This record gives sequence, C-alpha cells and structure tokens, in this order.
Amino acid sequence: MKILIPLKQVPDSTVRVSVAADGKSIKTEGVTWSISPYDEYAIEMALERKDADASTVVAVVTVGPARSRDALRQALAMGCDEASLVVAEETAAPLAVARALAKVVEEAKPDLVLCGKQASDDDQGFIGPALAEVLGWAHVATITKIVPADGAAELWREVEGGHEVWKAKLPALATVHKSEKEPRYPSLPGIMKAKKKEIPERAFASLNVDSSAPALEIVAMEPPPARGAGKILKDGDAKQTAQQLATLLRDEAKVL
Amino acid sequence: MKILVVAERRDGGLRRVSLELAAKAKELGEATILEIAGDRYSPLPFVSALAKKVEAEKPDLVMLGATLNGRDLGARLAARLGRAYAADVTALAVSGNTLEVGRPMYAGKVRAKVRVQMPAVITVRPGAIPLAESAASPDVVKLEADTSAEKLEFVKFAPVASSGKRVSLAEARVIVSGGRGLKGPENWHLVEDLADALGGAVGASRAVTDAGWRPNEEQVGQTGKTVTPDLYVALGISGAIQHLAGMTSSKVIVAVNKDPDADIFKVADYGVVADVFEFVPAFTEAVRKARSS
Repeated sequence: MKILIPLKQVPDSTVRVSVAADGKSIKTEGVTWSISPYDEYAIEMALERKDADASTVVAVVTVGPARSRDALRQALAMGCDEASLVVAEETAAPLAVARALAKVVEEAKPDLVLCGKQASDDDQGFIGPALAEVLGWAHVATITKIVPADGAAELWREVEGGHEVWKAKLPALATVHKSEKEPRYPSLPGIMKAKKKEIPERAFASLNVDSSAPALEIVAMEPPPARGAGKILKDGDAKQTAQQLATLLRDEAKVL
Repeated sequence: MKILVVAERRDGGLRRVSLELAAKAKELGEATILEIAGDRYSPLPFVSALAKKVEAEKPDLVMLGATLNGRDLGARLAARLGRAYAADVTALAVSGNTLEVGRPMYAGKVRAKVRVQMPAVITVRPGAIPLAESAASPDVVKLEADTSAEKLEFVKFAPVASSGKRVSLAEARVIVSGGRGLKGPENWHLVEDLADALGGAVGASRAVTDAGWRPNEEQVGQTGKTVTPDLYVALGISGAIQHLAGMTSSKVIVAVNKDPDADIFKVADYGVVADVFEFVPAFTEAVRKARSS
C-alpha cells in the first residue's frame, strides 16, 4: 500500500504567535517551524501501517515556501520513505493548492491520501475535502484509525459518543484527527538516513494548474483580547472559599 | 441578499448553532433554513444534494454551523462550487457586496479580520452569535441526501461508554475540565459531579486524553476542541499554551489549582489556589445550593 500525506509547515505549537508591524500577518523572525500537529498524526498513522506491513510506502509532499523543506526532512527522519516539494507563494489560493496537490496525487498514484484535518496556521480545514473534490474521490473526515480490508480500508471516524466506521474502496482520502499513538520522534538513524535522501523540488507554475480561485483577504490581525487580572481566592477553609466562589459566580459574574 | 442556512439536528431538535444561524440569516436578508435528510451525514450524498440546491437558488451566502459535519460539508461544497470559504467564523458583517468575518487563526492565538468574496460559504462557531431565549423555531425546508452519489459503505457505529447523556462539548454553555491534577481517571466523579451540578459538559486537558484517562473527544485545546462557553471551570489544569488557545475566549473562567504560579491563573477571572480534592466537593455542594435558592 502506498500512502501519501500532504503536509504543511506551520509555527510550532509552543510558539507564542504575535502580530507583525503591518497589522495583518504574524512575526516570523525567530519562529520555530514544525509539521502541523494534525499532519504529524497523519504521518504517525501511516507509519503505524508501515510498522505492521513493511511493504507500505509512505510519501509526503508539501506545496509551500522553500523553508518547508525542513518539515519534509523532519517527516523523512520520522520514517517516511519519500518527500517532494512544490515551491509556491504563501498567498496561493487554497483551491489552487488543492489542484496542485491533485496533480501530485495523480502522478504518485497512492492508495490512500491522509491529510491532517486542518493546518494550525489558518485553521481552515479546507484542503483535505477540497483535494478529494478535485480528485473526484470519496473522503472520510476526522479519522482516528485505519483498518486495511482487501482493496478497501475501514476508516474510523470520531463523532460525538463514539466512532462511525466507514468502508472506502481504494484509492480514498481521509482527514486525520488523531493517531492511536503520539507521533514518534525521529530516531538518530532516521535523521542520518533522512539527510541523505533527495527531496525533489519543482515550481508551482510548472504544474500548470488553474490558479484562478476566490481568495480570502486578511485585512487585520490582532491578539485575542487580554483577560483582566482575576480575583484570586486562597488560604481559606475549603467550605468557605467554595461558598464565596459560588456567590461571586451567581451575583457578580451572573453565570449560575 | 439571499442566505441559505444548513441546519443540523441533535436528539430530535435543531442544534442550538442552527438556531443561532437562522436568527442571524433573518437579520441579514432573505433566509432559507434547510435541513438535509439522510440516515447519517456522509460527504458525497450531502454535498451532491446541497450543491444542486445552491446552483438552483444562488444564495449569496451559505452558512453552516462549524460542527464536525458542518465544517466537512462546507469545505467540500465550497470546493465543488468554486466559492470562497471561511471556516469557524466568530463574527460577521455585510456591507454592500462585501462580507467581512472575524475568525481565529493559529489555534486561537490570533484573531483575524478577513474579507470574503461573495458568493461564499462559511461555517460559524457555535455560540458566536447571541441567541435570544425567546427566538422562535424557524421553518425548515427538507432536502433529501443524494444517495446515488455515495461511494462509501457505512459499516457500524462503535459507541464509547462515557458522558453520553451530557450536553455536547462544542455547544455547552458550561464546561468543567479536568487535568493531571486529578491524579487518575478514578477521580473523574469530581469533575462529573460538578458538571452535573452546573448543568454542563465535561472536558479534559491533552495530558489527560493522551494518558487514556478520558476519550479524545473530550480534549479541549489545540488539537482538541476550541470552546467558548459562558463558564469554563478548569480543575487541576496547569494551563499549557495549547490548552489556553482552546478556551481563553470563554466568557468567565474559573481555575482551581494548588500551584499559585500555574499559567491557568493568568487567564482566570476567578482563581482558587487549593487542593482539588478538598475544594471541588465543597464547591459542588455550594453550587447546588446557590442554584436551588
């Protein structure tokens, strides 16, 4: 089985994001970049398939700026077999990115495409369903488990109160909510191997996709409103403090 | 302007977010509230039926709740129709032919104001639009899912044994979340009893869901759910940046932690420096009394 994961490089989840001087983008100086967390889950899910069946091939691709190469290298170090980069402006319209990824999928002919359910920069969650749409494939959203089933796959989708299990004929696409295990860290041999691997690169324009698509225009960005200093209750007897808090919530905050 | 709202049902009634959208749509213009009828949500049958409806009626704006299914359907619909798409919108304003929306980015660490070209598709976060308690239930048009478009086969539903009877986390007005400070899943009755006393839902920090103490669906924060209840109570949660990203937009935040330097206190409106095992039972009792008097 061949699994392809389109990934995105985003500011690491531990980064304190701040707004740049233009008031409509984020400061990128000093930012640590990583694979988007849901894409890491997708990679882990694919690598777990590879652990179970060594003939599994796991490939990653990204459509993004040249710095994304580091994220691809990180994926190779985790244990992915192949990586390729399509260099594009960060302003490329989302639907055009989906079309570019569709070209890559059509060339690579994977059995399964796994996308993180959303990239933790724009948090749109558009690319997965849009890629399935451009390909004309079925997709299952927000899965947490894959069970291969003879030319098909059972895809477990987390919903309120449990899991829906869907069977998809391959090829198919799923967006990933979580893997069963936490994403693995690159091993030392993995890092050494990844260093030696070629990451072929091409320009977005060379894919000749229709780049006309409605764009979103960010007109302003701001940090979420700061929360004022709260009241701290301490050193009291538990019962009295509990009573005091309940009264505050009822009479002051009016939420009881 | 013409607006099409795609409503969702839960336990027989319309979801609260659908009522919120219906109210907003009526305020903006000529609104149609639509419900797609099918055994269960599946992208292709739903998008196929909905896309035909949208092509026939040409609404300027299609609004869905930013729910699990709404976000999936909205994205695929926008891709099919080549419409602009904005997800998880928390504010919207229309002037002339321009739609301007507010939406969180970078897992809630930034709020963006975004101009969206119409015709558009947006999903709106539950709780983002205020809803008058007196709001009348809207008339709903039914649309049959196009089952001929289905390529998937539904195998089964595998339930998880927990919190089935409580309100859904994404739409809850009150959420009580537990963290590592609870020391183990066997102590979750503290969280659940308080949630029940407050009439709220139960959440958890990532440390807790990663440890398998609680199911993933209860995780609040980046890579979990982003929530905006009226009251968020954090019990034994230290307040990692990823957790804060998921809950700092709550109206009122209460934190209980025995570490006075815990980051959670930086966002709390009411912070209690105490041992959760001593404080929470007393607080649950006080809440019961306060609510009944």
